[in-house]
Amino acid sequence: MELANTLSQDGESRGGVLAHLERLETQVSRSRKKMEEPQSAQAEESALGTRIHELRRLRDKLRAEVKQHQASVKASTTNVEPDQTLEITEQESLKRKWENVKAILQAYRFTGISGKLTSRGVCVCISTAFEGNLLDSYFVDLVMRKPLQIHHHSIPVFIPLEEISAKYLQTNIQHFLFTLCEYLNAYSGRKYQADRLQSDFEAFLAGPLQRNSLCNLLSFTYKAEPEGQSFPFCARLLYKDLTTTLPTDVTVTYQGKRKYCTFCSHD
Amino acid sequence: MDSQLVEARALEAEITALRRACVEPPAPGEDTSRVRKSFRETYQADSEGWELSKDLRSHLGHLESEIQFLSTLTGISIRHYSKKTEDLTSTEMTEKSIKKVLQRHRLSGNCHMITFQLEFQLLEIQNEESLSSVITDLSIIMEPTEYSELSEFVSRAEERRDLFMFFRSLHFFVEWCEYRKRTFKRFKEKYPEAVHLSEGASSSCMGIRNPSRPGFELVIVWRIQIDEEGKVLPKLDLLTKVPLQALELDKNGVIETAPLSFRTLLGVLGIEATLESLIKSLHTEASN
Repeated sequence: MELANTLSQDGESRGGVLAHLERLETQVSRSRKKMEEPQSAQAEESALGTRIHELRRLRDKLRAEVKQHQASVKASTTNVEPDQTLEITEQESLKRKWENVKAILQAYRFTGISGKLTSRGVCVCISTAFEGNLLDSYFVDLVMRKPLQIHHHSIPVFIPLEEISAKYLQTNIQHFLFTLCEYLNAYSGRKYQADRLQSDFEAFLAGPLQRNSLCNLLSFTYKAEPEGQSFPFCARLLYKDLTTTLPTDVTVTYQGKRKYCTFCSHD
Repeated sequence: MDSQLVEARALEAEITALRRACVEPPAPGEDTSRVRKSFRETYQADSEGWELSKDLRSHLGHLESEIQFLSTLTGISIRHYSKKTEDLTSTEMTEKSIKKVLQRHRLSGNCHMITFQLEFQLLEIQNEESLSSVITDLSIIMEPTEYSELSEFVSRAEERRDLFMFFRSLHFFVEWCEYRKRTFKRFKEKYPEAVHLSEGASSSCMGIRNPSRPGFELVIVWRIQIDEEGKVLPKLDLLTKVPLQALELDKNGVIETAPLSFRTLLGVLGIEATLESLIKSLHTEASN
Protein backbone atom coordinates (compact mmCIF):
# COMPACT_ATOMS: atom_id res chain seq x y z
CA MET A 1 0.00 0.00 0.00
CA GLU A 2 1.14 3.47 -0.79
CA LEU A 3 0.86 4.71 2.78
CA ALA A 4 2.81 1.77 4.22
CA ASN A 5 5.65 2.35 1.75
CA THR A 6 5.98 5.94 2.83
CA LEU A 7 6.21 4.85 6.45
CA SER A 8 9.17 2.56 5.77
CA GLN A 9 10.96 5.33 3.87
CA ASP A 10 10.32 8.09 6.37
CA GLY A 11 10.36 5.72 9.33
CA GLU A 12 13.40 7.49 10.74
CA SER A 13 12.02 11.01 10.64
CA ARG A 14 9.61 11.82 13.40
CA GLY A 15 7.93 14.42 11.20
CA GLY A 16 7.16 11.79 8.58
CA VAL A 17 5.34 9.44 10.93
CA LEU A 18 3.47 12.23 12.72
CA ALA A 19 2.46 13.71 9.39
CA HIS A 20 1.12 10.34 8.36
CA LEU A 21 -0.83 10.03 11.54
CA GLU A 22 -2.34 13.43 11.01
CA ARG A 23 -3.22 12.64 7.44
CA LEU A 24 -4.77 9.46 8.68
CA GLU A 25 -6.79 11.35 11.25
CA THR A 26 -8.19 13.82 8.72
CA GLN A 27 -8.99 10.97 6.41
CA VAL A 28 -10.78 9.18 9.21
CA SER A 29 -12.82 12.24 10.20
CA ARG A 30 -13.64 12.95 6.55
CA SER A 31 -14.85 9.41 6.07
CA ARG A 32 -16.96 9.67 9.21
CA LYS A 33 -18.57 12.85 7.89
CA LYS A 34 -19.39 11.25 4.55
CA MET A 35 -20.71 8.20 6.39
CA GLU A 36 -19.20 5.87 3.86
CA GLU A 37 -20.15 2.29 3.28
CA PRO A 38 -18.99 -0.11 5.97
CA GLN A 39 -16.62 -1.69 3.47
CA SER A 40 -14.48 1.43 2.89
CA ALA A 41 -14.74 2.32 6.62
CA GLN A 42 -13.37 -1.11 7.31
CA ALA A 43 -10.55 -0.44 4.81
CA GLU A 44 -9.60 2.75 6.76
CA GLU A 45 -9.62 0.87 10.01
CA SER A 46 -7.40 -1.83 8.65
CA ALA A 47 -5.02 0.86 7.33
CA LEU A 48 -4.74 2.32 10.84
CA GLY A 49 -4.34 -1.17 12.22
CA THR A 50 -1.41 -1.79 9.89
CA ARG A 51 0.10 1.51 10.98
CA ILE A 52 -0.16 0.54 14.63
CA HIS A 53 1.42 -2.77 13.83
CA GLU A 54 4.34 -0.99 12.15
CA LEU A 55 4.74 1.39 15.09
CA ARG A 56 4.72 -1.49 17.57
CA ARG A 57 7.44 -3.23 15.58
CA LEU A 58 9.58 -0.08 15.51
CA ARG A 59 9.06 0.47 19.21
CA ASP A 60 10.19 -3.07 20.07
CA LYS A 61 13.23 -2.72 17.86
CA LEU A 62 14.21 0.51 19.59
CA ARG A 63 13.69 -1.00 23.03
CA ALA A 64 16.18 -3.75 22.17
CA GLU A 65 18.67 -1.18 20.84
CA VAL A 66 18.47 0.92 23.99
CA LYS A 67 19.10 -2.14 26.17
CA GLN A 68 22.15 -2.98 24.06
CA HIS A 69 23.40 0.59 24.19
CA GLN A 70 23.13 0.75 27.97
CA ALA A 71 25.06 -2.49 28.28
CA SER A 72 27.89 -1.22 26.09
CA VAL A 73 28.38 2.00 28.03
CA LYS A 74 30.95 1.02 30.65
CA ALA A 75 30.84 3.22 33.67
CA SER A 76 34.04 3.19 35.68
CA THR A 77 32.70 5.66 38.18
CA THR A 78 35.03 6.09 41.07
CA ASN A 79 33.29 8.95 42.79
CA VAL A 80 30.48 7.62 44.96
CA GLU A 81 27.66 9.90 46.22
CA PRO A 82 28.38 11.01 49.77
CA ASP A 83 24.76 10.79 50.91
CA GLN A 84 24.51 6.98 51.03
CA THR A 85 21.90 5.78 53.45
CA LEU A 86 22.90 2.10 53.23
CA GLU A 87 24.98 0.53 55.98
CA ILE A 88 28.49 -0.11 54.83
CA THR A 89 31.31 -1.84 56.60
CA GLU A 90 34.47 0.01 57.53
CA GLN A 91 36.37 -1.95 54.93
CA GLU A 92 34.08 -0.85 52.16
CA SER A 93 34.41 2.76 53.23
CA LEU A 94 38.19 2.42 53.29
CA LYS A 95 38.19 0.79 49.85
CA ARG A 96 35.99 3.53 48.54
CA LYS A 97 38.25 6.23 49.97
CA TRP A 98 41.24 4.48 48.46
CA GLU A 99 39.64 4.37 45.01
CA ASN A 100 38.73 8.03 45.32
CA VAL A 101 42.23 9.05 46.37
CA LYS A 102 43.81 7.00 43.59
CA ALA A 103 41.52 8.68 41.07
CA ILE A 104 42.38 12.15 42.33
CA LEU A 105 46.09 11.36 41.99
CA GLN A 106 45.48 10.35 38.38
CA ALA A 107 43.42 13.47 37.79
CA TYR A 108 46.38 15.72 38.54
CA ARG A 109 47.79 15.10 35.10
CA PHE A 110 44.89 17.17 33.72
CA THR A 111 46.26 20.24 35.47
CA GLY A 112 49.35 19.96 33.30
CA ILE A 113 51.58 19.22 36.27
CA SER A 114 51.56 15.93 38.11
CA GLY A 115 54.15 14.01 40.03
CA LYS A 116 55.14 10.88 41.81
CA LEU A 117 57.03 10.75 45.06
CA THR A 118 60.41 9.09 44.74
CA SER A 119 62.96 7.97 47.31
CA ARG A 120 64.92 11.20 46.90
CA GLY A 121 62.16 13.63 46.18
CA VAL A 122 59.61 13.93 43.45
CA CYS A 123 59.45 13.26 39.75
CA VAL A 124 57.31 15.95 38.17
CA CYS A 125 55.59 15.28 34.86
CA ILE A 126 54.66 18.26 32.69
CA SER A 127 52.05 17.64 29.99
CA THR A 128 51.60 19.75 26.90
CA ALA A 129 48.70 20.33 24.55
CA PHE A 130 47.69 22.57 21.66
CA GLU A 131 44.09 23.41 20.78
CA GLY A 132 42.82 20.40 22.67
CA ASN A 133 45.31 17.97 21.16
CA LEU A 134 47.34 16.31 23.89
CA LEU A 135 51.02 16.30 22.93
CA ASP A 136 54.32 15.21 24.48
CA SER A 137 55.06 15.04 28.20
CA TYR A 138 58.33 15.94 29.86
CA PHE A 139 59.66 15.07 33.27
CA VAL A 140 61.89 16.73 35.84
CA ASP A 141 63.30 14.62 38.65
CA LEU A 142 63.84 16.77 41.73
CA VAL A 143 65.94 15.94 44.76
CA MET A 144 64.48 17.33 47.97
CA ARG A 145 67.57 18.74 49.56
CA LYS A 146 68.73 22.21 50.50
CA PRO A 147 69.41 23.49 47.86
CA LEU A 148 66.83 21.85 45.60
CA GLN A 149 68.47 20.05 42.72
CA ILE A 150 67.42 18.64 39.42
CA HIS A 151 68.57 15.05 39.31
CA HIS A 152 67.70 14.46 35.70
CA HIS A 153 65.11 15.58 33.18
CA SER A 154 63.80 15.15 29.66
CA ILE A 155 63.58 18.85 28.80
CA PRO A 156 65.04 19.60 25.34
CA VAL A 157 68.33 21.44 25.42
CA PHE A 158 67.05 24.54 23.62
CA ILE A 159 64.53 25.33 26.38
CA PRO A 160 66.21 27.75 28.84
CA LEU A 161 65.93 25.41 31.83
CA GLU A 162 69.05 26.74 33.57
CA GLU A 163 67.83 30.31 33.33
CA ILE A 164 64.40 29.44 34.72
CA SER A 165 65.75 27.29 37.54
CA ALA A 166 68.33 29.93 38.49
CA LYS A 167 65.51 32.46 38.85
CA TYR A 168 62.84 30.44 40.62
CA LEU A 169 63.79 26.92 41.67
CA GLN A 170 65.08 27.79 45.12
CA THR A 171 62.64 30.55 45.98
CA ASN A 172 59.33 29.63 44.41
CA ILE A 173 58.97 26.10 43.12
CA GLN A 174 55.42 26.64 41.86
CA HIS A 175 56.57 29.55 39.75
CA PHE A 176 59.44 27.43 38.45
CA LEU A 177 57.14 24.61 37.40
CA PHE A 178 54.46 26.77 35.79
CA THR A 179 57.03 28.88 33.92
CA LEU A 180 58.61 25.71 32.59
CA CYS A 181 55.09 24.63 31.67
CA GLU A 182 54.65 27.84 29.67
CA TYR A 183 57.83 27.34 27.66
CA LEU A 184 57.18 23.66 27.02
CA ASN A 185 53.55 24.13 25.99
CA ALA A 186 54.51 26.97 23.64
CA TYR A 187 57.29 24.87 22.09
CA SER A 188 54.96 21.88 21.72
CA GLY A 189 52.31 24.07 20.09
CA ARG A 190 54.74 25.63 17.63
CA LYS A 191 56.16 22.22 16.74
CA TYR A 192 52.67 20.80 16.25
CA GLN A 193 51.70 23.69 13.96
CA ALA A 194 54.90 23.33 11.91
CA ASP A 195 54.32 19.58 11.57
CA ARG A 196 50.74 20.11 10.44
CA LEU A 197 51.83 22.78 7.95
CA GLN A 198 54.25 20.30 6.44
CA SER A 199 51.80 17.41 6.27
CA ASP A 200 48.40 19.00 5.65
CA PHE A 201 49.50 21.76 3.26
CA GLU A 202 52.05 19.78 1.29
CA ALA A 203 50.30 20.67 -1.95
CA PHE A 204 50.72 24.40 -1.30
CA LEU A 205 54.40 24.28 -0.32
CA ALA A 206 56.80 24.83 -3.19
CA GLY A 207 59.79 23.57 -1.22
CA PRO A 208 60.71 22.06 2.13
CA LEU A 209 59.71 23.84 5.34
CA GLN A 210 62.82 25.19 7.01
CA ARG A 211 62.76 25.40 10.75
CA ASN A 212 65.03 25.47 13.78
CA SER A 213 64.81 23.06 16.70
CA LEU A 214 62.93 25.56 18.86
CA CYS A 215 60.43 25.94 16.00
CA ASN A 216 60.46 29.68 16.50
CA LEU A 217 61.89 30.50 13.10
CA LEU A 218 60.07 29.12 10.09
CA SER A 219 60.82 29.79 6.47
CA PHE A 220 58.97 28.39 3.48
CA THR A 221 57.82 29.09 -0.05
CA TYR A 222 54.18 28.60 -0.91
CA LYS A 223 51.67 29.11 -3.69
CA ALA A 224 48.24 30.58 -3.25
CA GLU A 225 46.73 27.70 -5.25
CA PRO A 226 48.07 24.14 -5.16
CA GLU A 227 47.90 23.75 -8.92
CA GLY A 228 47.99 26.41 -11.54
CA GLN A 229 50.39 29.09 -12.46
CA SER A 230 50.21 31.29 -9.35
CA PHE A 231 53.53 32.78 -8.33
CA PRO A 232 55.24 31.52 -5.20
CA PHE A 233 55.52 33.69 -2.07
CA CYS A 234 58.32 33.39 0.46
CA ALA A 235 57.24 33.56 4.06
CA ARG A 236 59.34 33.97 7.15
CA LEU A 237 57.82 33.61 10.62
CA LEU A 238 59.67 34.63 13.74
CA TYR A 239 58.42 33.90 17.26
CA LYS A 240 60.44 36.19 19.50
CA ASP A 241 58.43 35.35 22.59
CA LEU A 242 59.19 31.75 23.47
CA THR A 243 56.15 31.49 25.70
CA THR A 244 53.66 32.02 22.87
CA THR A 245 52.46 30.00 19.90
CA LEU A 246 51.82 33.03 17.70
CA PRO A 247 54.58 34.73 15.65
CA THR A 248 55.78 38.21 16.52
CA ASP A 249 57.21 38.98 13.06
CA VAL A 250 55.87 37.85 9.72
CA THR A 251 57.48 38.76 6.43
CA VAL A 252 56.10 37.80 3.06
CA THR A 253 58.17 38.55 -0.01
CA TYR A 254 57.41 38.17 -3.65
CA GLN A 255 60.32 37.89 -6.03
CA GLY A 256 62.62 39.45 -3.45
CA LYS A 257 60.42 42.50 -2.90
CA ARG A 258 58.72 42.75 0.47
CA LYS A 259 55.06 42.65 -0.34
CA TYR A 260 53.31 42.31 3.00
CA CYS A 261 54.69 42.71 6.44
CA THR A 262 52.85 42.56 9.74
CA PHE A 263 53.97 43.73 13.14
CA CYS A 264 57.61 44.07 12.17
CA SER A 265 59.74 46.75 13.69
CA HIS A 266 61.16 47.63 10.28
CA ASP A 267 59.25 48.67 7.13
CA MET B 1 -11.07 3.81 15.86
CA ASP B 2 -10.43 6.44 18.54
CA SER B 3 -8.62 3.96 20.80
CA GLN B 4 -6.43 2.95 17.90
CA LEU B 5 -5.49 6.57 17.28
CA VAL B 6 -4.68 6.99 20.97
CA GLU B 7 -2.53 3.89 20.86
CA ALA B 8 -0.76 5.10 17.73
CA ARG B 9 -0.01 8.44 19.39
CA ALA B 10 1.30 6.70 22.54
CA LEU B 11 3.54 4.46 20.46
CA GLU B 12 4.86 7.50 18.61
CA ALA B 13 5.77 9.22 21.92
CA GLU B 14 7.48 6.10 23.23
CA ILE B 15 9.52 5.78 20.02
CA THR B 16 10.77 9.36 20.36
CA ALA B 17 11.78 8.79 23.98
CA LEU B 18 13.58 5.55 23.06
CA ARG B 19 15.47 7.30 20.28
CA ARG B 20 16.67 9.92 22.77
CA ALA B 21 17.74 7.21 25.22
CA CYS B 22 19.87 5.62 22.53
CA VAL B 23 22.07 8.71 22.43
CA GLU B 24 22.32 9.68 26.10
CA PRO B 25 24.45 7.84 28.65
CA PRO B 26 22.61 6.13 31.53
CA ALA B 27 21.86 8.12 34.73
CA PRO B 28 24.68 8.26 37.29
CA GLY B 29 22.46 6.67 39.94
CA GLU B 30 22.60 3.36 38.15
CA ASP B 31 26.40 3.36 38.10
CA THR B 32 26.86 4.00 41.81
CA SER B 33 24.50 1.14 42.68
CA ARG B 34 26.51 -1.10 40.38
CA VAL B 35 29.74 -0.01 42.09
CA ARG B 36 28.21 -0.51 45.53
CA LYS B 37 27.16 -4.04 44.61
CA SER B 38 30.61 -4.97 43.32
CA PHE B 39 32.23 -3.77 46.56
CA ARG B 40 29.91 -5.91 48.64
CA GLU B 41 30.48 -8.88 46.37
CA THR B 42 34.22 -8.44 46.63
CA TYR B 43 34.28 -8.30 50.39
CA GLN B 44 31.65 -10.83 51.30
CA ALA B 45 33.92 -13.63 50.13
CA ASP B 46 36.96 -12.13 51.81
CA SER B 47 37.89 -13.95 54.98
CA GLU B 48 41.19 -12.16 55.48
CA GLY B 49 39.17 -8.98 55.30
CA TRP B 50 40.62 -7.18 58.19
CA GLU B 51 44.29 -7.85 57.44
CA LEU B 52 43.56 -6.11 54.15
CA SER B 53 42.03 -3.25 56.05
CA LYS B 54 45.27 -2.57 57.97
CA ASP B 55 47.31 -2.55 54.75
CA LEU B 56 44.69 -0.46 53.06
CA ARG B 57 44.80 2.08 55.83
CA SER B 58 48.54 2.58 55.66
CA HIS B 59 48.48 2.64 51.88
CA LEU B 60 45.62 5.11 52.00
CA GLY B 61 47.60 7.31 54.35
CA HIS B 62 50.53 7.23 51.98
CA LEU B 63 48.37 8.16 49.02
CA GLU B 64 46.68 10.96 50.94
CA SER B 65 50.03 12.47 51.83
CA GLU B 66 51.02 12.23 48.17
CA ILE B 67 47.95 14.24 47.24
CA GLN B 68 48.76 16.77 49.95
CA PHE B 69 52.25 17.06 48.51
CA LEU B 70 51.02 17.54 44.95
CA SER B 71 48.57 20.13 46.18
CA THR B 72 51.41 22.07 47.79
CA LEU B 73 53.62 21.62 44.74
CA THR B 74 51.09 22.92 42.24
CA GLY B 75 48.94 25.15 44.42
CA ILE B 76 45.91 23.30 43.05
CA SER B 77 43.72 21.09 45.25
CA ILE B 78 41.53 18.56 43.52
CA ARG B 79 38.65 17.42 45.72
CA HIS B 80 36.51 15.33 43.40
CA TYR B 81 37.13 13.44 40.22
CA SER B 82 35.04 11.03 38.24
CA LYS B 83 35.29 9.50 34.83
CA LYS B 84 33.03 7.65 32.45
CA THR B 85 34.25 5.71 29.45
CA GLU B 86 32.33 4.88 26.33
CA ASP B 87 33.63 2.56 23.68
CA LEU B 88 32.87 3.96 20.26
CA THR B 89 34.74 1.35 18.26
CA SER B 90 32.62 0.10 15.38
CA THR B 91 33.07 -3.34 13.85
CA GLU B 92 34.73 -1.77 10.81
CA MET B 93 37.28 -0.11 13.06
CA THR B 94 38.02 -3.34 14.94
CA GLU B 95 38.84 -5.01 11.63
CA LYS B 96 41.41 -2.34 10.89
CA SER B 97 42.60 -2.58 14.53
CA ILE B 98 41.50 0.95 15.32
CA LYS B 99 40.08 1.65 18.77
CA LYS B 100 37.97 4.71 19.55
CA VAL B 101 37.06 5.62 23.11
CA LEU B 102 35.24 8.66 24.50
CA GLN B 103 35.97 9.62 28.10
CA ARG B 104 33.86 12.05 30.09
CA HIS B 105 35.72 13.60 32.99
CA ARG B 106 34.43 15.67 35.88
CA LEU B 107 36.87 17.50 38.12
CA SER B 108 36.42 19.98 40.93
CA GLY B 109 38.67 21.67 43.42
CA ASN B 110 40.21 24.98 44.25
CA CYS B 111 43.27 27.13 43.75
CA HIS B 112 43.48 29.30 46.90
CA MET B 113 40.28 31.36 47.07
CA ILE B 114 39.01 30.35 43.64
CA THR B 115 37.00 27.16 43.23
CA PHE B 116 36.48 25.49 39.88
CA GLN B 117 34.32 22.76 38.41
CA LEU B 118 35.31 21.27 35.10
CA GLU B 119 33.68 18.87 32.73
CA PHE B 120 35.47 17.79 29.63
CA GLN B 121 35.42 15.06 27.00
CA LEU B 122 38.49 13.30 25.78
CA LEU B 123 38.41 11.36 22.53
CA GLU B 124 41.12 8.72 22.18
CA ILE B 125 41.78 7.07 18.86
CA GLN B 126 44.32 4.30 18.78
CA ASN B 127 45.53 2.82 15.54
CA GLU B 128 48.54 0.62 14.82
CA GLU B 129 50.99 3.52 14.66
CA SER B 130 49.90 5.98 17.27
CA LEU B 131 47.47 7.11 19.93
CA SER B 132 45.80 10.46 19.54
CA SER B 133 44.00 12.13 22.44
CA VAL B 134 41.91 15.19 21.80
CA ILE B 135 39.82 17.25 24.17
CA THR B 136 36.58 17.65 22.29
CA ASP B 137 34.59 19.67 24.79
CA LEU B 138 35.39 21.74 27.84
CA SER B 139 33.09 23.48 30.27
CA ILE B 140 34.28 25.47 33.27
CA ILE B 141 32.45 26.96 36.23
CA MET B 142 34.40 29.24 38.55
CA GLU B 143 33.68 30.94 41.83
CA PRO B 144 33.85 33.65 43.11
CA THR B 145 32.50 35.54 40.17
CA GLU B 146 33.61 38.97 41.43
CA TYR B 147 36.82 38.72 39.47
CA SER B 148 35.41 40.06 36.22
CA GLU B 149 38.71 39.57 34.45
CA LEU B 150 38.23 35.85 34.84
CA SER B 151 34.91 35.38 33.03
CA GLU B 152 36.34 36.45 29.67
CA PHE B 153 39.36 34.26 30.25
CA VAL B 154 37.16 31.29 31.10
CA SER B 155 35.13 31.52 27.88
CA ARG B 156 38.34 31.80 25.88
CA ALA B 157 39.74 28.69 27.55
CA GLU B 158 36.49 26.80 26.87
CA GLU B 159 36.52 27.88 23.21
CA ARG B 160 40.07 26.76 22.68
CA ARG B 161 39.55 23.63 24.82
CA ASP B 162 42.85 24.56 26.42
CA LEU B 163 42.75 22.80 29.78
CA PHE B 164 46.41 23.30 30.62
CA MET B 165 46.37 26.99 29.79
CA PHE B 166 43.38 27.33 32.13
CA PHE B 167 45.30 25.92 35.08
CA ARG B 168 48.51 27.75 34.21
CA SER B 169 46.85 31.14 33.91
CA LEU B 170 44.73 30.44 36.98
CA HIS B 171 47.89 29.80 38.96
CA PHE B 172 49.62 32.99 37.79
CA PHE B 173 46.44 35.03 38.29
CA VAL B 174 46.08 33.81 41.87
CA GLU B 175 49.78 34.45 42.49
CA TRP B 176 49.41 38.05 41.35
CA CYS B 177 46.22 38.51 43.43
CA GLU B 178 48.00 37.27 46.53
CA TYR B 179 51.00 39.52 45.82
CA ARG B 180 48.73 42.53 45.37
CA LYS B 181 46.91 41.72 48.62
CA ARG B 182 50.20 41.34 50.53
CA THR B 183 51.61 44.55 49.12
CA PHE B 184 48.53 46.64 49.91
CA LYS B 185 48.34 45.13 53.40
CA ARG B 186 51.99 45.93 54.05
CA PHE B 187 51.53 49.57 53.07
CA LYS B 188 48.34 49.84 55.09
CA GLU B 189 50.17 48.56 58.16
CA LYS B 190 53.16 50.82 57.60
CA TYR B 191 51.21 54.00 56.82
CA PRO B 192 47.79 53.50 58.43
CA GLU B 193 46.79 57.18 58.19
CA ALA B 194 47.84 57.70 54.62
CA VAL B 195 46.73 54.48 52.95
CA HIS B 196 43.08 53.72 52.35
CA LEU B 197 41.74 50.43 50.99
CA SER B 198 38.14 50.98 49.90
CA GLU B 199 37.21 47.33 49.40
CA GLY B 200 39.29 45.84 52.15
CA ALA B 201 42.24 43.50 51.73
CA SER B 202 41.25 42.11 48.32
CA SER B 203 40.78 45.58 46.95
CA SER B 204 42.06 46.39 43.50
CA CYS B 205 42.49 50.06 44.45
CA MET B 206 44.69 51.75 46.99
CA GLY B 207 44.01 55.35 47.96
CA ILE B 208 46.72 57.60 49.30
CA ARG B 209 45.66 60.66 51.32
CA ASN B 210 47.11 63.10 53.71
CA PRO B 211 44.74 63.69 56.61
CA SER B 212 46.09 67.20 57.10
CA ARG B 213 45.46 68.03 53.47
CA PRO B 214 41.97 66.87 52.65
CA GLY B 215 40.84 67.08 49.06
CA PHE B 216 44.03 65.60 47.67
CA GLU B 217 43.99 61.94 46.85
CA LEU B 218 46.04 59.64 44.72
CA VAL B 219 44.36 56.40 43.73
CA ILE B 220 46.39 53.48 42.46
CA VAL B 221 44.32 51.08 40.39
CA TRP B 222 45.99 47.70 40.12
CA ARG B 223 44.27 45.39 37.70
CA ILE B 224 45.38 41.88 36.83
CA GLN B 225 44.65 41.03 33.23
CA ILE B 226 44.83 37.83 31.25
CA ASP B 227 45.58 38.32 27.57
CA GLU B 228 44.58 36.27 24.53
CA GLU B 229 47.45 33.82 24.95
CA GLY B 230 46.66 33.28 28.62
CA LYS B 231 49.49 35.51 29.83
CA VAL B 232 48.80 37.15 33.17
CA LEU B 233 49.98 40.76 33.43
CA PRO B 234 49.52 43.42 36.07
CA LYS B 235 48.24 46.77 34.88
CA LEU B 236 48.65 49.73 37.19
CA ASP B 237 47.17 53.17 36.72
CA LEU B 238 47.25 56.35 38.73
CA LEU B 239 44.19 58.51 39.25
CA THR B 240 44.48 61.92 40.84
CA LYS B 241 41.91 63.79 42.85
CA VAL B 242 42.88 67.40 43.28
CA PRO B 243 40.90 70.47 44.36
CA LEU B 244 40.21 73.00 41.63
CA GLN B 245 42.33 75.71 43.29
CA ALA B 246 45.38 73.46 43.32
CA LEU B 247 44.82 72.63 39.69
CA GLU B 248 44.86 76.33 38.81
CA LEU B 249 48.15 76.78 40.68
CA ASP B 250 49.70 73.88 38.83
CA LYS B 251 51.68 75.81 36.20
CA ASN B 252 53.92 72.93 35.21
CA GLY B 253 51.02 70.58 34.60
CA VAL B 254 52.35 68.03 37.07
CA ILE B 255 48.89 66.69 37.85
CA GLU B 256 48.06 66.28 34.19
CA THR B 257 51.18 64.29 33.45
CA ALA B 258 51.03 62.33 36.69
CA PRO B 259 49.52 59.15 35.20
CA LEU B 260 52.18 59.01 32.51
CA SER B 261 54.97 59.75 34.96
CA PHE B 262 53.61 57.02 37.16
CA ARG B 263 54.00 54.49 34.34
CA THR B 264 57.58 55.58 33.75
CA LEU B 265 58.35 55.35 37.44
CA LEU B 266 56.94 51.81 37.51
CA GLY B 267 59.33 50.80 34.77
CA VAL B 268 62.27 52.23 36.66
CA LEU B 269 61.58 51.36 40.30
CA GLY B 270 59.16 48.46 40.08
CA ILE B 271 55.77 48.26 41.76
CA GLU B 272 56.58 48.34 45.46
CA ALA B 273 59.19 51.10 45.33
CA THR B 274 56.94 53.25 43.16
CA LEU B 275 54.00 52.93 45.52
CA GLU B 276 56.19 53.64 48.52
CA SER B 277 57.68 56.75 46.93
CA LEU B 278 54.20 58.05 46.13
CA ILE B 279 53.02 57.53 49.69
CA LYS B 280 56.13 59.21 51.02
CA SER B 281 55.79 62.20 48.72
CA LEU B 282 52.27 62.95 49.91
CA HIS B 283 53.15 62.16 53.50
CA THR B 284 56.24 64.33 53.83
CA GLU B 285 54.43 67.28 52.26
CA ALA B 286 52.47 67.65 55.45
CA SER B 287 55.53 67.76 57.67
CA ASN B 288 57.05 70.65 55.67
